[in-house]
Amino acid sequence: MTFHPSDESAVRVRGLRRTYGHGPTAYEAVRGVDLDVPAGSITALLGTNGAGKTSTLEVLEGLARATAGEVRVLGLDPVADRDAVRQRTGVLLQRSGFSGDLTVRETLRQWSGTLVSPRPVDEMLERLSLTGRADVRMLALSGGETRRVDLACTLMGNPELVILDEPTTGLDPESRRDVWRLVSDLRDGGATVLITTHYLDEAESLADRLEIMHAGRIVRSGTPTEIALGHPSTISFATVDGLPRDLPVRQIRQEHGRTVIEADDLQRALSALLSWADAQGARLDDLNAHSASLESVFLAIADERDPAAAAAAASNAAANADPSDTSLLEGAAR
Amino acid sequence: MSTVIPTISVARTAHLTRWNAALLARNRAALFYAVVMPLLPLGLMALGERGNPTGGANAVTTAFLVAGLFPVYYNVLSQFVGRRDELVLKRMRTGQTKDLELLVSIALPGAFCALLMCALALPIAAAFGQSLPVNPVIYALLAVLAVTMFTAFAYWTAAWTRSAEAAQLTSMPIIFLVSLGPLAITIPSLSEGLQNALSFTPGAAMADLLRSGWFGFDGAGATDPSLTFADTWSAAGGPLLVIVAWTAIAISLARRSMVWEPRS
Repeated sequence: MTFHPSDESAVRVRGLRRTYGHGPTAYEAVRGVDLDVPAGSITALLGTNGAGKTSTLEVLEGLARATAGEVRVLGLDPVADRDAVRQRTGVLLQRSGFSGDLTVRETLRQWSGTLVSPRPVDEMLERLSLTGRADVRMLALSGGETRRVDLACTLMGNPELVILDEPTTGLDPESRRDVWRLVSDLRDGGATVLITTHYLDEAESLADRLEIMHAGRIVRSGTPTEIALGHPSTISFATVDGLPRDLPVRQIRQEHGRTVIEADDLQRALSALLSWADAQGARLDDLNAHSASLESVFLAIADERDPAAAAAAASNAAANADPSDTSLLEGAAR
Repeated sequence: MSTVIPTISVARTAHLTRWNAALLARNRAALFYAVVMPLLPLGLMALGERGNPTGGANAVTTAFLVAGLFPVYYNVLSQFVGRRDELVLKRMRTGQTKDLELLVSIALPGAFCALLMCALALPIAAAFGQSLPVNPVIYALLAVLAVTMFTAFAYWTAAWTRSAEAAQLTSMPIIFLVSLGPLAITIPSLSEGLQNALSFTPGAAMADLLRSGWFGFDGAGATDPSLTFADTWSAAGGPLLVIVAWTAIAISLARRSMVWEPRS
């Protein structure tokens, strides 16, 4: 990682709220988000389905207004200073479209003509490995190729800040790696990247900082290591009878025929468990032990076992008639 | 909303217009409706007595309605809704392009086709023995106002149109509203009150302006050119107000109901 933390924030958000609809049917999707994206960093915004990630991004992109709160993008207001902000940012939406009748080169030429100072079309074709497909119509492209054209548009204005909403969803593993490399190169070239993703491995290996959203709030922030810090390690095995009650662990629970132990000190807990098993002659089938990982933190948040996530959900349940968001997490197990 | 900001980049709008025109040219059905369709009614002048002003007025009125309804109204509606469905507009709106630039650039290719028809109507009418407009200023003003009004109607209709296919149905009320006036004028048994009410429809106002401004007809039933250049101005006041009012209503409704995301 070549990330050098900077005092400046490329994005600074305070108390952001976003409500859809009015009156009794109103739904508050973003419920007081504070977010700082350090200049020159790759920051990943993670969250369960409906956590409010895209709703937050839309405000940063200037596509929607905040119901309340303050948003500064590159020190400017994305709505009031629209022209200045747009010239310095590149946006990739979760889903977007192109005219199927235009070729790849025509699509990029069309986009290029809308920018104040675009990079040359041929350079973008080369950079996104699209040169060989330049004269193919958009409707004949694969999903991965269309995504690369989309990325070419995002980067054509040479943006200082790049906002990518799930850039690798639906891509094959090789294309995903290509996007990762591109994102790293952007950061190494001095740009700031704010990215949302379904893939925890992607966030873990790519991002300098993580912001985990749940139920419209940011419940965890920091580097991947900082986020896992203070979170318990996990030991699990096929359930056996007679487990002692005095193991040095935080919690023992049963899940789908397995015993799951959460421990602050993995080595101590594991030693105690194995000593007991040896003395009893008990066999711990399918034994698994691992330190706290981003995935385990994420799962705890999604299941609201994490205190911050549970607090966020509980306050929402009180504020809204809607049940709090307990939807399935997006591909965390992938 | 950023559409409130009236400033647009002429260069960017012209650039997008060229691409929208290229896309229109690649769609044969849309191209037929935009270019060929509006010229067909002018052929009506070949029928009937050569140089008969009533026949000429009917042909030019029909040509104007078709030019407003097809290259402008229906074309703009279906292009906008189609691109909205394909998320093309959503993508464009993340960039430096402003909303108004997108709207104007989608409308201009069709507007150009309609204005071209208005220009071609002059030599074609002359070739069929018709006189040239008594008041060419009113004729030009009507052409520009009508294009603006039909564009605004298109963007308003888009607010409740779910897909490009659905536009075939959702466009019906406006097509009916616009065609009603000129068609009803041909029914002599209509009461005076109803005739008066119909004169406030956009199509009737367009027909009135063409009949007085081009052919010098004084009133709905007139068949002989009697108005001078100066007379045509006072005859034009009422119908011009009607068209400006409809345009203002349509723009206001379109601005308030603008939908940029696909309607599901």
